[in-house]
Amino acid sequence: MKKPQHEDIDALIRIFNDSTWREMHLTGEGIDLFLSKDPDARRPSQAATAVPRATSATAMPVAAPVAQPMAPPVSAPLTSGVPAHWVTVRAPCLGTFYSAPKPGAAAFVSLGQKVTADTELCLVEVMKLFTSVRAGIKGTVQRMLVADAALVEFDQPLFYIEPHD
Amino acid sequence: MTEPSSPARILIANRGELAVRIARAARSLGMQSVLAASAADRDSLAAREADRVVVIGSAQARESYLNAPRIMHAAIATGCTALHPGYGFLSERPALVELCNENGIAFVGPTADSMRRVGDKLSARALARAAGVAMTSGSEKIDDVAQALEIAARIGYPVITKASAGGGGRGMVVARSEQELAASFEHASMVAREAFGDGTLYLERFVERARHLEVQLMGDGAGRVVHFGERDCSVQRRYQKMIEEAPAPILPAAARTRLHAAAVALLSGIEYRNAGTVEFLYDEDNEQFYFMEVNARLQVEHPVSELVTGTDLVSTQLLLAAGQGTLPEQAQISVRGHAIEVRIIAEDPRRDFLPSPGRITCWRPPAGEGIRLDTGFTEGALVPPYYDSMIAKLIVHGRDRNEAIERLAGALAGFEIQGVATNIELLRFIVDHADYRSNRIDTRWLERALLPAFRMHN
Repeated sequence: MKKPQHEDIDALIRIFNDSTWREMHLTGEGIDLFLSKDPDARRPSQAATAVPRATSATAMPVAAPVAQPMAPPVSAPLTSGVPAHWVTVRAPCLGTFYSAPKPGAAAFVSLGQKVTADTELCLVEVMKLFTSVRAGIKGTVQRMLVADAALVEFDQPLFYIEPHD
Repeated sequence: MTEPSSPARILIANRGELAVRIARAARSLGMQSVLAASAADRDSLAAREADRVVVIGSAQARESYLNAPRIMHAAIATGCTALHPGYGFLSERPALVELCNENGIAFVGPTADSMRRVGDKLSARALARAAGVAMTSGSEKIDDVAQALEIAARIGYPVITKASAGGGGRGMVVARSEQELAASFEHASMVAREAFGDGTLYLERFVERARHLEVQLMGDGAGRVVHFGERDCSVQRRYQKMIEEAPAPILPAAARTRLHAAAVALLSGIEYRNAGTVEFLYDEDNEQFYFMEVNARLQVEHPVSELVTGTDLVSTQLLLAAGQGTLPEQAQISVRGHAIEVRIIAEDPRRDFLPSPGRITCWRPPAGEGIRLDTGFTEGALVPPYYDSMIAKLIVHGRDRNEAIERLAGALAGFEIQGVATNIELLRFIVDHADYRSNRIDTRWLERALLPAFRMHN
């Protein structure tokens, strides 16, 4: 493919604007183009590795490691049919997953609930140290992948959030 | 320590070739293993060898292999009954031992108390002194040239100045006479001040031709300690061992007996538990050895002792920690033949040992009689940039040193690795060198004689 010229990109943007598409991501030799009609949209490559913000003494893992292998398996029905633009909220480290602030209390979030970037989704506990996991994006909770009190590993998908305004 | 009733599941808190080694040893004993891995090692050979893998954090060691709470959480959540720390990382942290104790998990290693007593330099020297083990005569901090001369006269020339505040060779000057010491003392102090912000020096007797010898030991925790012979690890670069052998042929029989006895005395005095090593500096000229330090863990070079004694040290460690095995009697342990280990590192000797992480595109290891390869890598694997650069240990065993060297030379000739730079060519050069073949080496030989010759050769 010939290296895209300025007018090629102009044409692509016009086509995108005139279409009913919400997002477009084009990569190739010499081009990496991401178009979205959502002002809060994140590039898919970022969304795919988006790590929720943590608010505790535990340091956050930094960027995804080299040659990021596949995430630990989660049950197929929960991950099947997940649209590409949904954001995965992942475990910041190994620990025990808690969906509620304390035993018997209501869960932090429920399926279909609207969340903001600061909404607390769950706790991950490591040797009595609790790390709060937040949504990191505005949207709707579309999938909850982990049962309460289960062991989760680093980078394991916990929630899918469908982003919206 | 809590003794679990059915100790059958080992948490491996390490990576690479040793994690593979522990997983295989556990399996051979009918035990299970769980690898606490970083994200970078999720698809490693060790991850495939272990019965289960839990990814505890990201690639950075502080998020994974150095993160004691996460490792302990993984051990408890996966029902482990024992924890093997390997070497490096958290292996010599008393806090990890205590965390294991609090959670009823057997630590495969010494007690926290032993670790503290041998880990601190002054405390370790006190133990050695109490056990009657010789040490290089040294001084306290020295204020000026006059005091330095006075102390040097007492401990005898040659002496070496060392910076009190740091290491790395800065502030270190060898003086063979009063004149040399007087001339170099101020300069050495100045160099130390520039490097560490503290010009305080102390003096030690300098050993001209020093060998690094060490004794492999194992204790039952109740006062009985046995040794598995000694190793000679004199081929070093910047205090990093590159080649290790067992036994040390340069040791006269009487000196060998004294060396083993000194090491046993030192560790039995503190009722040492599980595997440990006592390191000595050996002065070939006067057949004297001097205590250096204790390593309260398994060491990288343990395979050479395994090959010459026919003992699986890792299995012995696991059985002892599980309360399932007993220490062999000293009389049952004998040394047969000669073993040599070379460390294959992903560093480029032609570019001042620049680390060379990357994808291994070709991996053709040698095999054959008397050849063992301990590694955590295979073809197609990625050597991550986050950890130690060692990618394999090639170990050979022969009837004597000459046969071992021939096997090593043959094995190195057939070892092909592409995709990452390695030191294999340098190791071939060392093994062919007349000084190495005739065993006329010391701890500074590699840097003083061999590396310049290697550079000339290339």
